[in-house]
Amino acid sequence: MKTSKIMVIVLTVLLAITMLAGCSSTPAEKPPADQPVETTFPEKSIDLTILFGAGGAADVIGRKLADGAAEKLGKPIVANVRTGGGGAVGYQYVLGQDPDGYNIVWNSTSICVTYHQGNMPADQDFSAFRGVAKISEEASAIAVKADAPWKNLEEFVAYAKANPGKVTVANSGVGSFNHLTAAAIEDALGVQFKHIPLDSKESVTALLGGRVDAMVNMAFDAIPQVEAGEMRALAIVGTQRIDAMPDVPTMKEQGYDVDLLMWRGIAVPKDTPDEVVLKLQDAFLESANSDEFKEFAKKYSLTVAPTTGAEFDAYMAEQDKMIADLMEKIGLKKQ
Amino acid sequence: MLEYLSQGLGIALQWENILFMFIGTILGLVFASIPGLTFSTALILMIPVTFGLDPVPAISVLLGVFAGGMSGGSISAILLGIPGTPSAAATVIDGYEMAKRGQAGRALGMAVYASVFGGIFSLLVLMLVAPQLAKVALKFGPAEIFALVIFGLSTIVSLSGTSLNKGLLAGLFGLLLTTVGLDPVMGLQRYTFGQSWLMIGIGIMPVMIGMFAFPEIIETFQRAKNNKGVSKEPTDKQVVKASFPTLKEMKSTFLLMLKSSAIGTGLGAIPGTGGPIASFLAYDQARRQNPRCGKGAIEGVGAPEAANNGVTGGAMIPLLTLGIPGDSATAIMLGAFLIHGLAPGPLLFQNYGDLVYAIFISILIIYVMVLVIQFFGIRLFVKVLDFPKVNLMIAILAMTVVGSFAINLNFGDVIIMFFAGLLGYLMKRYGFPITPLILALVLGYTIEDNFRKALVYSDGSLAIFVQSPVSLVFLILALIMLLAPLIKPLLEKRAKADKA
Repeated sequence: MKTSKIMVIVLTVLLAITMLAGCSSTPAEKPPADQPVETTFPEKSIDLTILFGAGGAADVIGRKLADGAAEKLGKPIVANVRTGGGGAVGYQYVLGQDPDGYNIVWNSTSICVTYHQGNMPADQDFSAFRGVAKISEEASAIAVKADAPWKNLEEFVAYAKANPGKVTVANSGVGSFNHLTAAAIEDALGVQFKHIPLDSKESVTALLGGRVDAMVNMAFDAIPQVEAGEMRALAIVGTQRIDAMPDVPTMKEQGYDVDLLMWRGIAVPKDTPDEVVLKLQDAFLESANSDEFKEFAKKYSLTVAPTTGAEFDAYMAEQDKMIADLMEKIGLKKQ
Repeated sequence: MLEYLSQGLGIALQWENILFMFIGTILGLVFASIPGLTFSTALILMIPVTFGLDPVPAISVLLGVFAGGMSGGSISAILLGIPGTPSAAATVIDGYEMAKRGQAGRALGMAVYASVFGGIFSLLVLMLVAPQLAKVALKFGPAEIFALVIFGLSTIVSLSGTSLNKGLLAGLFGLLLTTVGLDPVMGLQRYTFGQSWLMIGIGIMPVMIGMFAFPEIIETFQRAKNNKGVSKEPTDKQVVKASFPTLKEMKSTFLLMLKSSAIGTGLGAIPGTGGPIASFLAYDQARRQNPRCGKGAIEGVGAPEAANNGVTGGAMIPLLTLGIPGDSATAIMLGAFLIHGLAPGPLLFQNYGDLVYAIFISILIIYVMVLVIQFFGIRLFVKVLDFPKVNLMIAILAMTVVGSFAINLNFGDVIIMFFAGLLGYLMKRYGFPITPLILALVLGYTIEDNFRKALVYSDGSLAIFVQSPVSLVFLILALIMLLAPLIKPLLEKRAKADKA
C-alpha cells in the first residue's frame, strides 16, 4: 500500500525528531590509551545542568555563557534544564555522573541554601563540588508601591518598628534566597515582618495589586516597575549601587549591615581531574570576560565578577558558613 | 495609535519576520501534535536561536510556537486520543469519539476553526482593553485563584460520565498524586522515598501520555489476538474527509465560541491559571448547551480549542502591560524580550509602541498561517488513520517511551508513564473515567499552593475565602455544580408532586 509506506516514513521522521530532542549528547568515544587526558578534553559535547526554569534569568544567562565557552573548547555545550527541589534535583543529577568534566552545573547560592534546608543527602554539600569559575553576582532590593506612605527606608523602618509583625513582605518562599535576604534585613533593622511566601513574579503581582506592603526580590525584578513609576525601591541589598537604579542607596550606606549577594558560577563533581577543570576554567573565564557576555549580562542587571576555580572554592566555603549561620538564626537550618 | 499601526505593519511584514513566524508556527504544530513533545520544549529549543535575531522576529518565532502549539495539541487528541499538550486534554473527549465514528476530518476542521476564532478574539481583547484587564487580573490573589481553580475542578461532575462517584474518586486520586514531591510552601519532601527524581512530583505529561495511550494500545492488541483479521485492517474503514464547519454550524456555535474564547482570554490574563483550566471550563459550557457532548459533538471539540487559544492573547496581557509572565510559555517569551533590552511593562507601550503593534500584527498573521497550514495539513493528518491499527499502536508505544523521557530527560518519568498507563487501563476496564484524574492532577498543585499562601496572609483563618467577594462567588458556583446532580431529582420530584 502506498499510503502505508508514506505513513512509515512520516512516523519514522516524527520518531527521529522525538529522539533528537531526547538525546542531548553524542555517545562517548574512548580516548586512545597512549594519549594524555589534558590534550584530548573535550572529545564530545558537554552537558550543562541548569537548575531553574526555562526562559528565566538563570537559564538564559547560562546558555549565553555556555555559547562563548563552547566556542573556545571547540565542542558544543548543551544546556539542559533540570529543575526541582530548589536546585537539589539538578545538583544530585550532576553528582551522579562520572567526574570527567562532561557534566557541569550552572551553580549558585542555591547549593548552600538547598543543602542546609535538608534537600540534599548529608554528604553532598557545596564541598561535593569543585569550582570551575565564579561568574557573576546579583543584588536584591526592597521595594514598596509607588503610592505607599514611606518615602525612604527610614520611614519604613519607623513604621515597621511601631507595628511589629504587621508589615507584610513578599519574598520568594520559605528557604529561598529572597527569604534569607528578607530575614537578614529584619535582623539588621531590628524589626519583625510578616513573610508572605510568593515566587518572584507573584511578589510583583501582589505588590502592584496592593496585597502586600513591600517585597524583597532580585533588583532585576523591581527595575522595570521602578522605571515605570509603579514601585519605589527603598534600598539595594549588595555591596554597591546598581547602574539601572543609581539613585537607590545600598543598605550599608544607610547604616545597616546587610550584605547578601546571589552569586553564580560553574562547578563540577569534586573528583574531576585538575587538567579538565583548568581547561573548563579558561574557557568559561574567557566567555565571561568577553564584551558580548558583559553586554548581555547588563540587560539582566548582572554584575560580571569572574574568579578562578580555586578562588571560587574558597568563596563558596565562606558563603556557606555565612548562610548556614543565617539559616540557623531564623530556624531554617536542618543540616 | 494609527502611526504606531503603520510603523508596526512595516516591521511585521518584513520577510525575515514572516519567515520566522512560519518556522515557529510549523514547529509549534509539530511539537504539540506529538505526544510527549510539548510546545514548551520547542520554545526552549528556540531560545538560543533568538539570541541572534532582531527583537520582532525573535518574539515572532516564539509567538508562532505558542499559537501553533496551542492549536496543534488537538491533532493527536482527535486522531489518536492522546492530547498533545495538557491544554488539549478536554478536546480528547469529543474529538476522539468523532474520529472513532469516521468524522476525524470534521473534528479537526472544527478544532482549527475554533483555534483561530479564539486566537483572534484574544488578540482583539489584547489590543483594545489590555491595561484595564490587567488591573482586574492584579486583584486575583491566592484566595481568588484558589476559589477559581476549585470552580474549575467542580467540572469533574460533568466529566464523570455515568457514575459521579467513580468520577469523584478518580479526581480525589489525582489530587492525592499532586502531593508527591516538594511541598509548595515549606519545600519539604513528601512521598519521595529518598528518590531525587520524585522531588519534581508526578508530572502531568507522563501520566497523560500513559493514561490515554495505554488502554488503547492494550485493547488493540487484545482484539488483534482474538481476531487475526483485525491486524491488517486500517484503523478506520470509512472514507475520512477533511471538512471545515459549515456556515450553519458556525452560526449555531457562534455564541459558544464567543463564550469559550472569553473564558480563555480571561483566564490567560490571570497569572497562575491558564490553558488546561480554561479548556475544561469551556467544555463544561458546551456540555450545558448540547447534551450530545461527550458522544462526539463539534461543540465539545470547539469550546476547549477556542478557550486554549484564547489563552494565548490573554497571557500576553500581563506580560506586555506589567512584565509578569502568566505561565511557562510567556516566561520564556519574557526572556526573549529581555535579551533584546526590552523590558515588558508599562513603559513598553510608551517607548516601543511600534514594536508592540508589530507584535499584534504578527499574532494576526500567525493565526492566518495556522489556518492555512492546518487546512492543508488535515488532509495529510487523517492519513494516519489509513495505517493498520496494530502497526500504529506499536509506533505510539515507542513514542510514549521516548516522549515521556524527552520531557525532562528523566528516566523516572518513563516509570511514571508505565504505571499511569497500567492504572489507566484498569480504570477504563472497571468504568472509572480518566479525565477527572487528569484534571485534578493539572489543578492540584495550584489549589494547594494558593490555599496555603492565602492562609499565610490570613494567619490561618479560613475567613479569607469568604471575605473576598470574588472568591466567595466562585466557591458558591462550585458548590452549585457539585450539588446540582443531587438537588435536581429532588426538585423535579417536588414539581411533579405539586402538579398532582
